[in-house]
Amino acid sequence: MNTGKAVRPGMNVVPSPSSLWERFLEGDRHAFAEIYDSHIDHLFHYGMHFCQDKERVRDCIQDLFQDLWLSREHLTTSIRHIRYYLISSLRRRLLRSLQKDRRWQHRESWEAFEFEFTYPQENKIILEETAAEQQRLLQQALAGLTRRQREAIYLRFYQSLSYEEVAGIMSMQVDSVYNTVSKAISILKKNISLPLLLLLLGK
Amino acid sequence: MARISYLSYTAREFALDEDFQQWVLQPDVRNVFWERWLQQHPEKEAVIREARQLVQGIGFRSYSLTAGEKEQLWEAVWNGLEEDTVQPQTTVRKTWWRRSWKYAAALLIGACLSGGFWFWKGGNKPVLLSTYTRLGEVKTFLLPDSSAVTLNADSKLLYAEQQGRHREVWLDGEAFFHVKHTRNDAKFVVHTYDKIDVEVLGTQFNVNSSGKEIVVVLQQGSIKLDIGDKGSNHPTEMYLHPGEMLRYNKQDGDFSKSSANAGKFTSWHTGRLMMEDYTLADAAAFMQQVFGKTVIVKDTQLLKYKVSGSMPLIYNADTMLVQLQKVFRMQFNQKGDEVWIQKK
Repeated sequence: MNTGKAVRPGMNVVPSPSSLWERFLEGDRHAFAEIYDSHIDHLFHYGMHFCQDKERVRDCIQDLFQDLWLSREHLTTSIRHIRYYLISSLRRRLLRSLQKDRRWQHRESWEAFEFEFTYPQENKIILEETAAEQQRLLQQALAGLTRRQREAIYLRFYQSLSYEEVAGIMSMQVDSVYNTVSKAISILKKNISLPLLLLLLGK
Repeated sequence: MARISYLSYTAREFALDEDFQQWVLQPDVRNVFWERWLQQHPEKEAVIREARQLVQGIGFRSYSLTAGEKEQLWEAVWNGLEEDTVQPQTTVRKTWWRRSWKYAAALLIGACLSGGFWFWKGGNKPVLLSTYTRLGEVKTFLLPDSSAVTLNADSKLLYAEQQGRHREVWLDGEAFFHVKHTRNDAKFVVHTYDKIDVEVLGTQFNVNSSGKEIVVVLQQGSIKLDIGDKGSNHPTEMYLHPGEMLRYNKQDGDFSKSSANAGKFTSWHTGRLMMEDYTLADAAAFMQQVFGKTVIVKDTQLLKYKVSGSMPLIYNADTMLVQLQKVFRMQFNQKGDEVWIQKK
């Protein structure tokens, strides 16, 4: 049943409203403000998971939007998904900024905190009351994924980018993204015991 | 897409399926297909629930900026952009106002090249310009007063301004207006080629005169409607508040005010089709207005068939037909400008 693996084009992905992008390209600053408003939370969230350095994230986001405005005349009108475009751009900026900074040359100790999984808020109370130990084990298992794998999972599940887009941002094969997600799902499935699952389902 | 094979999917396989994930992650975007699928296969409910839990089981620590921080960052973006201007003492607002004229001019030239014509007489004479869109085409224009207008397909717009005082447009078709409030409270009046005028100061609203009715929907601010014979001294005056709409019947001149989900009527200008209790009849009206396609249905009961959800608007008739066909799960056959629809 490998059919599920096929990356389906456009339709399932949520393309950004292209006319908003076109208005922005024409210099409409309301459209620009709208783009900022609707993407700032996701960009900041991604940035913080990427490097845990609030000032750096803010600086890179500021540069990103300034360059976006200044270079709008050279940008393509056929942006299919604005969030994808903005996140890839922010990622390049963060990487460049980190590479310049000597303090970050040896930063393995930080890695565990980047793209760290937590249970979604709504499940938290149930978990704390009934299966704190189980959650701890699950966290441990998921932490066994590499930082790169966690980032791919993050981009798919938190930012809702398609497998194809995740592959594009991370310079990975689409297959590897799929396998990474598959690994995470397996870990989850193994670690959510039946009683706990029923409890979750019952809510 | 291989829908049949979903029947043999395990929870794990569903959780890995991109389309399924999309539904769990963004239920408002991808609900039509999956909700129907679940209705048709109620025995799969347990598997689907387990799969949902797997997808939802993946969470990430939250980080967020406060509203104030976001505002600050936005200002930092603008301030950085302002540094290279000649007069640093001017306020951000003024500088952008000045710059926007440049873009307005560029847009007007664009409008001119793309089929409209305009003339701008010097001195105190009025500014006049007109433009139009073809079938399957949507355009946004910045008017000389900095108001933005998005013109839906197959529409015409004429703009006249009396030396920064009275602003008037004549609309045939559909447009979404984002009217700038001027410092001297200059009126902005939308004339339809019927007995309705819409008068505002600064606000966001949609006017659609493309069908049998003229529909005015207010998104923000407030507007005044003048209904009645242009010549007579006694037009009916009426006010709309946000979330209210007015329907005016072109044939008998009847009109009524009601509350409306403004998003459903205005979302087109942001490139989405909001389908809240969206009937096949609504889809037919849409195909007629935007692409000039006539929809033909033998079994008129089908027209009442409803779906809910939303989809991106793509200004290509074939693509939209394919999407709508999927959503309504019916057979669409195109013959020239006619679309024949029947049950699958």
